[in-house]
Amino acid sequence: MEDDSDYEDSYVASDVEDYPTSEDGDYGYDPQTEPEISMRRAAYTVLSEEELKLRQQEALQQVMQVLSISEGEAVRVLRHCKWDVNRVNEEWFADTEALRDKIGLVDEQPTGSGRRKESCGICFDEFWVSEMHAAPCNHSFCRGCWKGYVHTAISGGPAVLSLRCPLPDCSAAVPAALVTAVSDPKHREKYHLYSLRSFVEDNQRLEWCPAPGCENAVEALHEVSNEAMDVTCRCGSSFCFNCKEEAHRPVDCETVKKWIIKNSAESENLNWILANTKPCPKCKRPIEKNQGCMHMSCSQCKHEFCWLCLASWQEHGERTGGFYNCNKYESAKKRGDYDAESLKREHARVSLQRYMHYYQRWAENDRARSQALSSKAEANDKKLEVLSEFVATPTSQLKFILDAWAQVVECRRILKWTYAYGYYRFGDNIPDEDTAQKQQQGFFEFNQGQAEMFLEKLNGVVEKDLDNLVEEFKREPGLSEVAPDGSVFVDQASSPERQAVWSKFREQLIGLTEVTRMHFVKLVQELEKGLDQLLAFYSEQPEAEAEAEVEPAAVSTAEASGSATPAQQATAKAPKRSKRSRISSRAAADKASNSAAAFSLQEADSELEAEAGYWQCRRCTVINRDLNSQSCSMCAQNRRGPISAS
Amino acid sequence: MASKRIQKELQDLQRDPPTSCSAGPSGDDMFHWQATIMGPGDSPFSGAVFFVNIHFPPDYPFKPPKVQFQTRVYHPNINSQGSICLDILKEQWSPALTISKVLLSICSLLTDPNPDDPLVPEIAHIYKTDRPRYEDMAREWARKYAMG
Repeated sequence: MEDDSDYEDSYVASDVEDYPTSEDGDYGYDPQTEPEISMRRAAYTVLSEEELKLRQQEALQQVMQVLSISEGEAVRVLRHCKWDVNRVNEEWFADTEALRDKIGLVDEQPTGSGRRKESCGICFDEFWVSEMHAAPCNHSFCRGCWKGYVHTAISGGPAVLSLRCPLPDCSAAVPAALVTAVSDPKHREKYHLYSLRSFVEDNQRLEWCPAPGCENAVEALHEVSNEAMDVTCRCGSSFCFNCKEEAHRPVDCETVKKWIIKNSAESENLNWILANTKPCPKCKRPIEKNQGCMHMSCSQCKHEFCWLCLASWQEHGERTGGFYNCNKYESAKKRGDYDAESLKREHARVSLQRYMHYYQRWAENDRARSQALSSKAEANDKKLEVLSEFVATPTSQLKFILDAWAQVVECRRILKWTYAYGYYRFGDNIPDEDTAQKQQQGFFEFNQGQAEMFLEKLNGVVEKDLDNLVEEFKREPGLSEVAPDGSVFVDQASSPERQAVWSKFREQLIGLTEVTRMHFVKLVQELEKGLDQLLAFYSEQPEAEAEAEVEPAAVSTAEASGSATPAQQATAKAPKRSKRSRISSRAAADKASNSAAAFSLQEADSELEAEAGYWQCRRCTVINRDLNSQSCSMCAQNRRGPISAS
Repeated sequence: MASKRIQKELQDLQRDPPTSCSAGPSGDDMFHWQATIMGPGDSPFSGAVFFVNIHFPPDYPFKPPKVQFQTRVYHPNINSQGSICLDILKEQWSPALTISKVLLSICSLLTDPNPDDPLVPEIAHIYKTDRPRYEDMAREWARKYAMG
């Protein structure tokens, strides 16, 4: 599977227009049909530390060439423009002098003869000019003093990247070459680290993978929005590009943040931080004010702001009511912003019981997800091989079992977050007259329940049923007497009865994985669209009829049994609607189930396959990389048709 | 590095003392100085003498010295603990600055307070809205705490 890496490293959505390999519409998927959902699709690459360094060099080279400046200067300009090469070009050519002034680039001053002595402005000792160092402003200091100056700045944090000449009132930037020339290896390494970190942290399109020990970064291939965007690093950890928490679609980042703070075991720490610090308005690092005036200057990003109102110090003047009587704070207090905060806390305390309900379910699914992950690893390591002998099938064709496990893992994650969603989406006591809220809650809980049911079923089949099946195979006579050459074993394994049992199980599991996946895809899409819009959408659909209200349990049994292929289910479950009916929450819920079925499986398949860059044969499970082909390259099974008999 | 540079500064101060201030070690510890500042003639502090404590950090001059008034001063940028809100003692510090320059800056701060970056908002408010009252108070405090 050497070409696996093709899609492991580069996840491409079909709707990213500027992505070179994207070919819209090639596989019958029209991105226009579901713009809201496609907006959230991620196109990104994972970059290792080496690749990041290369990228940084590329950006530097590009800027050096276009602007004809030195590397040291290019670093400054790029840092100022958040490592956006286009922005560099814009700002530079709009007003070169202003930009150079702002970031401290000065023209190289002529150096005098090296054969004379000069006093160092820091230690006041005399040195030969040739032994001294200077930034391009040519204010010379001795090597020892430069070293002390640079080391102190490096110990002070990433702000060293904007280091200026030590002379007061001289704003010349100290070039990286000078910093590295005078510092010892330990400090130099730290400086390079800051530089690389700046490349990732200042760059809006790059984020570090938050997994411990992982040094990769993820690069978004399109404009970054403030919405949740799930990405998966090469190290296997999934996280949200926007908020750096673990992947949490369909729940938005704000909800996740609130939820995690709420769950934080370190709530005492948190209380201290809340009581004693404020986040820097620019870089968001918590700041403790231990002395001095209200004019704060962040030690990390150098942002200057007012401690009272957190506004930038530059905006802080007479027109906002004076420096010493920060009226924003007073007026906020009068407005009652702070009272609302304490009310909210009171509210949270009262709703503890409700919280426990959601938290337990969230935590249980989290635990189940970890278990599923280890089960998947165990299956990969041991079980598949055992099974492969029993059913005379190479492990490469048993991949569907791993897929089922992967699906369980993914679903547990989604399900987990729907509990955080539910907790924040619906209040403690929805008044009876608020039918819209009640309706939405009913609708959400129904969908969640459905998804959960499929997931439990799938989990049961891939876990217990599979184990039982293996046990059964083991018990079958003859197997214990496997001849050294394996002949008896082979006969038993390929007996028609066993093959029949096995192929039925395989179809069931593949079908169930598919159905479960579809259900969760739908759930994610619906929650991201927003419940209110969704209900309005369903209410607008004029037709809904009594006979369409298929009992959800019945549907699920049919699906779960695996007797019908997904395609057949799709037709069976898409009833004609003819009669108008009033929308009750129950009817809406049932309709959701119908629409989930009516949702074209083919379309969704194409979409998901395009995302993965391959499609898997349902019969022999081989990976087909030709997205345009309609039949399996291995067994000629029709890509979408019912699974044909062996 | 630090003690050598502090020695040099002391020599310079002795060789070429500034007009309105003096400074030197307060005991055997070279890293702990005491300085005196004469109230500038063009300020309400005229005639007063202020005592100032100076502590040098071990990584001086790469980190700024800690400077604190021992004498009470009625000033928008100096609080009752004697802390001074002065940019060159914080983020604008440069290793090329010296105690002599710091003391001169404090002198000019006495003459020209910076009410837009106050440490004592009440005094800053009076300074901006009622200058004669500020000057009266400053003179009164100077008489009470900084003379004889």
